[in-house]
Amino acid sequence: MSMKFQTVERDSVFTRLDFRPKIYMMLVLTVVALIWESPVVQLSLAFLILIACFLSGVKMKFIRTILLIMTPFYLLLLITHGFFNISQVMSLTGKDELTILFTIPQNWWLIGGLNFSLEGFWYGINTIFKTLTIVLVVPLVIFTTDLDNIIVGMVRAKVPYKLAFIFSATLRFFPLLFSEIGMIVQAQRLRGLAMEKMNIIQRVSVYAKVAVPLILGAMVQSQQLEIVLQSKAFSGDPDRTYLHESILSRLDYTVLIFFTLFLIAAFVSWGVWGFGAFSGPTDALLF
Amino acid sequence: MPENIVVIENVSYSYPRSEQMVLSEISLNIKKGEFFGLIGPTGAGKTTFCCALNGIVPQFYGGRFFGKIEIAGLDTLDHPISVLAKHVGQVFEDPETQLIATSVENEIAFALENLKVPREEIMRRIPRVLEAVRLEGMEKKHPAELSGGQKQRLAIAAALAAQPDVLVLDEPTSQLDPIGTQEVFSTVYELNKELNMTIFMSSHAAEEMAEYSDRIGLLSYGKLIQVDTPEKVYADIPLLLENQLRVPQVASTFYSIQKKGIKLPKIPVKLDEGKKLIRDLAVDRPLHCSIKEEDKSSSKGELLIHVNNLEHVYPDGTKALHGVSLDIHTGEYLLIIGQNGAGKSTLVRHFLNLLKPTSGELTVNGVDSKKLTVSELASHIGYIAQNPDNQIFNMTVWDEVSFALKNLKFSKEEIIRRTEENLSSMGLLEYKDRHPLALPKGDRARVVIAAILAMYPDTIIFDEPTTGQDYKGSQYILDISRKLHQMGKTVIVITHHLYLMPDYAERVIVMGKGSILLDAPIRQAYMDTEKLNSTYLTPPQAVLLAKELSQMKDEEFPLLTPSEVANCFSKNGGAL
Amino acid sequence: MEEQKPKGQEREVKNIGGASIDGAPIAYIVVLAAVVTALAFIPFSVVMASGGSFPMNQGIFGLIGWVLGPIAGAISSGIGALIGVFVAPHTAGVWFVTVIGAIVTSFAAGCMGTQNSKRKAWWIGVVVVTLVAFAIYVGRAILVNGIRLQWAVLATFVNWSSLLLFILPTRTMVAKWVGSKNLALVAAGLALGTWIAFGIAHTVQNAFTYTMFNWPEEIWVMLSSVIPIEFLSRAAIGAVIGTGVIAGLRAIGLVKPTEGIY
Repeated sequence: MSMKFQTVERDSVFTRLDFRPKIYMMLVLTVVALIWESPVVQLSLAFLILIACFLSGVKMKFIRTILLIMTPFYLLLLITHGFFNISQVMSLTGKDELTILFTIPQNWWLIGGLNFSLEGFWYGINTIFKTLTIVLVVPLVIFTTDLDNIIVGMVRAKVPYKLAFIFSATLRFFPLLFSEIGMIVQAQRLRGLAMEKMNIIQRVSVYAKVAVPLILGAMVQSQQLEIVLQSKAFSGDPDRTYLHESILSRLDYTVLIFFTLFLIAAFVSWGVWGFGAFSGPTDALLF
Repeated sequence: MPENIVVIENVSYSYPRSEQMVLSEISLNIKKGEFFGLIGPTGAGKTTFCCALNGIVPQFYGGRFFGKIEIAGLDTLDHPISVLAKHVGQVFEDPETQLIATSVENEIAFALENLKVPREEIMRRIPRVLEAVRLEGMEKKHPAELSGGQKQRLAIAAALAAQPDVLVLDEPTSQLDPIGTQEVFSTVYELNKELNMTIFMSSHAAEEMAEYSDRIGLLSYGKLIQVDTPEKVYADIPLLLENQLRVPQVASTFYSIQKKGIKLPKIPVKLDEGKKLIRDLAVDRPLHCSIKEEDKSSSKGELLIHVNNLEHVYPDGTKALHGVSLDIHTGEYLLIIGQNGAGKSTLVRHFLNLLKPTSGELTVNGVDSKKLTVSELASHIGYIAQNPDNQIFNMTVWDEVSFALKNLKFSKEEIIRRTEENLSSMGLLEYKDRHPLALPKGDRARVVIAAILAMYPDTIIFDEPTTGQDYKGSQYILDISRKLHQMGKTVIVITHHLYLMPDYAERVIVMGKGSILLDAPIRQAYMDTEKLNSTYLTPPQAVLLAKELSQMKDEEFPLLTPSEVANCFSKNGGAL
Repeated sequence: MEEQKPKGQEREVKNIGGASIDGAPIAYIVVLAAVVTALAFIPFSVVMASGGSFPMNQGIFGLIGWVLGPIAGAISSGIGALIGVFVAPHTAGVWFVTVIGAIVTSFAAGCMGTQNSKRKAWWIGVVVVTLVAFAIYVGRAILVNGIRLQWAVLATFVNWSSLLLFILPTRTMVAKWVGSKNLALVAAGLALGTWIAFGIAHTVQNAFTYTMFNWPEEIWVMLSSVIPIEFLSRAAIGAVIGTGVIAGLRAIGLVKPTEGIY
């Protein structure tokens, strides 16, 4: 597992953008993905973001890991909405009867006779791609940004300097702590702790106990960190100079304006024409 | 600009909630351009002393402070730490916690940004200080991509960037391997000589301090009991021993020679002077170097660990071991040495199945290691890893030591018996109800050793037990290793401190870049300076003096310790 | 006092301390945030309903609130969780829900035992926010999605029980226990407190996740038995980690943050 903050190697419009318009884009897309419930629109949005991830050079392996981990959850969403989400879907579509795609044979134990509805299926698709959008926008924004730009961007965006500092120092120190977890677990095994013979619950409790020396060790190190900070004239005062500059370019402003307009447009069209609503005009072809 | 850049007058200090004076009536002046070395055993107050120079003591800690310290004319109590930070650059022991930024250039910029140095000026200074510590072109690197020595040099560069009047370094090399230590010392020395930077450094590295510093101060229980040139301080062997400090081997050798009644012009403390003097001494003198031939090979026991053509490739593709083969027999005392990254720890971790061979064969007591679990192996092979604090996870010393016994499902009585036995043999029984983390570092290391020994392992591996320990602490641990060896146990030690080992180890494995370069009895291994140099190890000074003799007399003198070298000389062998 | 007075003149020491936020040294906030991030990589169990796995760091959000106080604790947990999302998005599910959960847990925990007279009423704010979230969550379930009342009540047991325990004097009792010298009481306080703090955060999180996922009744039925078990294990982990950490912190004698209650 790479503990270094990932950055993409490819130069793209996303790497050229400042952190602020990108974070703004992330917020706008998250909000829009939350209000929309139309499977067509959600699919298109998630697909666009996926393409953007590819174009900007986010590693395939990373996206695959995300998909792999989320798949069981997505299946659960699809199954439950397809079979069980009846009253909500009926009220959203205004239909009195849902289109049945298939029915489980009556003689099946427990689940016999359940109907899988077309509308429920599409609602499930909506939730799946809604989450996918929200999850994928994070690597798109973060992995294309240089760390320095994140910190300075935060300061320029009026995030208090102390918070920006905590953010950057946390990024510096967490890999050290992560490797300490491994060392602590190793030390326990070297004292006869038979991890191999443990069930999942016992293993979890071992890991919980690992947190204790991890936290205490970190707290002890923090004393040293305090002294280091003092000796480097750190006071938490935002009145300081910055090595890295963060000046918004015309492209940055364009992106900021674009996503502002996009947000307004999304809200207005949603409110007025039901654009993006479930069973709204965008879903007319589906059901 | 005053001539004295640091003026200390009658300084005494105690931490809050403590009446003990950690610094006691210290008076000292340091001139501009001086290289001042501070030595003293752990707990003498060296770190407190260093922190007093930029006002962190007492401004950050509080407590009671007497007397005054002036840095470049500024009183350390009347000026805030942030102002003093412009004049005093600090470098600390731990390479990890003192680097707080996520890139080399940010690290250097951090203090300057806090000091409100304009951006353009920061950009001008970065390449300059990187050049001074020879890290040019590394601006964008992440600290994790640097070696230990590079990290410390970066810390030095960051301290230099504020253009301080004095650079204070607190044990900057104690966590480093020999090459890293060498890098740091030569960098600091260059700064001192070429930029006339004033240096204040505390260190346990006796040989290097003798070599580089202009003056040495000896701190003992908070008192500065001796301040003089290294020639004077390091030649005063009784004083050093009394304070449990290690003597540079050159000085120790000639001190022993002098004790034999041979008159010396002075006791040299630097290697070059020592080499010269030993030639002068030996020139018209027959040498009677009798080495007591230890019959160590005869004590060879049964085959314990058999390694055949072992390869290991880490998941990221780094090839850490290339076809390593060796046999270890019961009852051996084995020393494994080599630069960082040579594969020492990777090798021994295979013994415990903590790492699995990528290819090749490894058996423990005749059983394929892959078939045994870590916990099964651990009860036979005790592995004492480096940092004691990662090996402490219980709330009392007693629970810590009995932890393994509970895991191994011993009876209650047996657990109590073994725990008590091991605690008392380590002198820890009185602390049994204390929290392990409330004990001083040396004691924490002993708690971990006791916890491992409670399993009664037949083999004990010490992985860099002397890193970060002072001379006394190192010797304490090595004496334990010897006692275990005498009890018939197999002992394996990994260390960078070659000079500590001749009295203990029998066989040496020299590793370099994932291969075994040499597997030989210690006497043969230590004399093979070429092999050692090829993996960036320097033999102890006594060996180098013996080499000097060998070269001169055209005869092999495989001598390892100062006393062995000294024993070649006798008074009636001729006069100087 | 020592009978021998040092030769030098005693000086007035102005103890400036280090940079801090709300009485907690920045260095503490940094290292604990880093712990949160590091533990984000260690999976613990999979919580289907909130969309993603449940990393080990959830076991310490409450603890961080008790150690650093509500504000510094929320900052530390929040930044740690945020970076956890950035470096390991695959463990975090919906990123802002994860971060909100971290912040609310630590804040609610920190509010339980505050000795600061200006903050005596902060808990009421927490209650109001939780009530609003609860109304959005359960209201939507019953009114929009037609979940029957009995299932809505059963499946939200962890939520309303936490809120009740937070309103009742059990809130300050938890704080008293956590600060107690008796480690068994500390453990009990941590277990109960973790339940409460996480229950509150869970309510706030669900106001978002439920709006997204609109689980039908069948899932509520399933969750009504799963969630309490999950909460119990979380409380147990909170107690195990917290007791060890608090005992250790007391032994090491590090400077205690002003708002810490251990």
